[in-house]
Amino acid sequence: MIYLKLLLTLYFTTHLFSSTSSDTKCIVCHNDISHRIDNSIMNNMHGVLDVLKYQFLETKIIEQTTGINYLRNKPTKDQTLAEDHFSKLCAACHIDQDPTIFNPNYHTPRGGGCTTCHHVDDTKGIDKDHKNITTKIPSSNCLKCHNRSNRIGLSYFGKFESEGYGTPYKNGELTHKIDKNRYYYELPADIHHTSAKLDCIDCHTEKGVMGDGKQHKHMEDSVDISCVDCHDPKFEPIENFGLASMLIALNGNMPYPKEIAITKRKNSPLYQLQKDNNTTKFYRKKDGKDFDMILMSNSPYHKLAIHQRLDCTACHSSWIASCYGCHEVYFKNSKQYDWIKHKKTKGKWIELRSYLRYESPALAIGYNGKIMPTAPGCQVITTIYDKNITNEGFHSFAYAAWDPHTTQKHSRDCIDCHINPQTLGLGAGILDIKDGNITFEPFYNSIKSGLPIDYPIDSLVSKDGQQFQTFSRDKARGFNKYEVIKIVEAYKCILCHDQWDDPIYKDYNKSKTLFYSKKTKCSLKLIK
Amino acid sequence: MIKLLLLIIPILLVSNSCLKCHPKKMDQCKQSNHFTLKNSINITRQTWGIKDSNTTLQTLPQSKNSITKPADLVDDFLRRKCLKCHLNSKTINKTNNLCLSCHNNHKNKLDSYKAKPTQDKCLKCHNNEFIGTDYKGLFPHDFDKAYRSPITKDGYYPNRPYGIDFHHLSSDIHYQKGMSCIDCHKNSKMGKWEDKVNCTSCHSNLSKQNHKNYHNNLSCSSCHSSWNISSYELNVLRDDTPNYKQWKRLQVQEDRYLEKFLKKALKSKKTIEPKMPDYLTNKLKNGIWYSGYKFRRWENFFLVNDEFGKIKIAKPMFQYRISYKDKNGTMILDDQNKIDNNKIEAFLPKVPHTITKKAKSCQMCHNNKIMLDKNLINKNILKGKVLKGTPLSLQQLNKLQSKKYKQERAKNLY
Repeated sequence: MIYLKLLLTLYFTTHLFSSTSSDTKCIVCHNDISHRIDNSIMNNMHGVLDVLKYQFLETKIIEQTTGINYLRNKPTKDQTLAEDHFSKLCAACHIDQDPTIFNPNYHTPRGGGCTTCHHVDDTKGIDKDHKNITTKIPSSNCLKCHNRSNRIGLSYFGKFESEGYGTPYKNGELTHKIDKNRYYYELPADIHHTSAKLDCIDCHTEKGVMGDGKQHKHMEDSVDISCVDCHDPKFEPIENFGLASMLIALNGNMPYPKEIAITKRKNSPLYQLQKDNNTTKFYRKKDGKDFDMILMSNSPYHKLAIHQRLDCTACHSSWIASCYGCHEVYFKNSKQYDWIKHKKTKGKWIELRSYLRYESPALAIGYNGKIMPTAPGCQVITTIYDKNITNEGFHSFAYAAWDPHTTQKHSRDCIDCHINPQTLGLGAGILDIKDGNITFEPFYNSIKSGLPIDYPIDSLVSKDGQQFQTFSRDKARGFNKYEVIKIVEAYKCILCHDQWDDPIYKDYNKSKTLFYSKKTKCSLKLIK
Repeated sequence: MIKLLLLIIPILLVSNSCLKCHPKKMDQCKQSNHFTLKNSINITRQTWGIKDSNTTLQTLPQSKNSITKPADLVDDFLRRKCLKCHLNSKTINKTNNLCLSCHNNHKNKLDSYKAKPTQDKCLKCHNNEFIGTDYKGLFPHDFDKAYRSPITKDGYYPNRPYGIDFHHLSSDIHYQKGMSCIDCHKNSKMGKWEDKVNCTSCHSNLSKQNHKNYHNNLSCSSCHSSWNISSYELNVLRDDTPNYKQWKRLQVQEDRYLEKFLKKALKSKKTIEPKMPDYLTNKLKNGIWYSGYKFRRWENFFLVNDEFGKIKIAKPMFQYRISYKDKNGTMILDDQNKIDNNKIEAFLPKVPHTITKKAKSCQMCHNNKIMLDKNLINKNILKGKVLKGTPLSLQQLNKLQSKKYKQERAKNLY
């Protein structure tokens, strides 16, 4: 075993650089970045561990603990359940993971410091000194890690982690493997992939990815970009950004423009979106192919006052990877590999599920206070085995909102939000309006299904706005009673006025007032 | 095989003590679909490419040895995968008495109530994909090991009464009121089994307010069923080679024999020959039939016309993808999903037994994404050819969004 590990170490030091060698080499020149990385969630995973502890009911407020670094020296026996779960199941992926611990037959090696993202084949490096190093990071490097949890890395490319059937069978074998035990099927990929073959780095900036030096609580605080940065851009002279000129030179595939776009959240340069005189072009980083930027239209559907609370993703995401029921089974006395301590330690976890879905993403108020797609994240039900089963098992049901990375040009239509119980967060069932009141009959019966909750597993809220499931973010929540009524009320109009350019939506509140005071043609017929 | 059956049946008849008192029942029984299974058999055979198939359980040909197309393989598939369920099948009835497959024993007229088929008896066959367990609100879990959930309070995997664990969804209103299968599916006085059940024979006074003329063509269940089991793309593979490793997480395939076999084969150090029984001869034969879906849903549905012009809910049954690997490892059929260049897609008009008092809301049909073909993800598998019926015509589809609909619907909203 030791011999094998030695061999593997040798392999990686010569071919990939080991963690330490790459970092020590890189740090000589890129000391500034190394400090930023140290504080980033991709390196230290504090955002993941903190939310997990909250989800496991170990903390009531999400604090910033110290993630991987904090657990490195904490003895296994002193670890909380969340910490143990994190060490056994989550901690495999982080930037300074040792790539030699992975058996390449089963797992893609991850980690190794800078090279975990920047490494490419010999022929594709920047120059002689950076033979294997690139800034044109291929998405496959990102996907080494970003294929689990909210699965955006898969969704973007049109892959949905499936129920595990491995179908269709080809050549008598299971197909569509993600890794050892995971399979996918194809769904429509994100339009940025299908129409322009954009890679992750075409949107995500170096500041967003490698961090801005601050230790952020959550991933979304680190992210730099938003849709409007490109589709409703703000330009500034390139002279204001030394970094942009440097990165354009380093990229070598795009021209040197007068003006470049900047991100609205962190004011950093989006040098790939360039303005010269009157042309606005977007350059793909890997090869410099240029695209005319499609700007957000001024059409009423984007400007309607009633839709100002919608995040772009609420309408333009076509599906979301949703995993219902996360049955965490913990064996206190068995052993499992600890991805931080790099050895088997006491305590073993297996995860079971209830079911998967991708259709009709539910909407809720997201972390930014805007309406976003949401899915379970996570619905934890634990079973703890000591020698026999113990009664310590707990449950904690939560939803999370994120950009599913399944953007389409065409949005969901009005009906799909305004009278669809799944979109409203009520779950699957029969939603109707009777005598002016909203009625809802859910399909799922959690109690009979053996779950420790008395609401349907896919109900984030009740029709009266009772919040069944929680969120780990302060601002996030399901719709309240007032909002549910308001959304469904709109269906009464949408039934006939089903086009966004219908004049009644120009001033919706005024139209409603006119209607209810019997001053419109249809109200005379309809209001008793 | 036919000869063998012809031999067996008279023996069964003679040894059947029920016939002393019920001499005519056996003749009735033999006419029934429960006995011949001709509906399921012929639909499957037609789907797999045998035109005008007209056979019964009793006349079903033996499995073929030389195989070039799905039609050559279908009888083997039926015998070894589907027909575990038939009257007197050893999997449901251990006795030699055909009647006891459905009925319980009784001694005289006084205790004849005991003989009534109980719901449990019916569900022995009518479970999983088909109508039966849905009546109780049961929806099967997926096959992968990760779906043996939730762990029960005593720390065990959940029960799998029909080979798989279930989600509990809302159950049929008749079930909630304590009715069992035979309360509707009666053995009618005419002696014909399986007469079509009419909702209206009990529910004759329908309120005019809710049951408008323009919905006359709808079957009751298209509005009054809540959810339905839709299983998309049934992939089946007959593998004659001992290739078991890939099924490690997929041992539960709603097939008890296969589950036991895989458990043994995966543990054994020696290679175990792939063998599976022919449920009509009860003899082991070479090759194992594996199966898996693309996915299953309870939310999706769309409407079609049945053969009598009534509108019903369409159920995918099934969208087969067929593979066959022979003993030498040669792929004779590799993921074949077409017969004569037509995709194997079969939707059947069905009556989901998930009846609710409150009907579906109007928009569930009138704004149905599948029927209107709007923003459909996975478009190619959600719709397809309709057997024993026709898709909604353009004229019917146009009515979904007609002015009249909107006027009528608007009236209900205020």
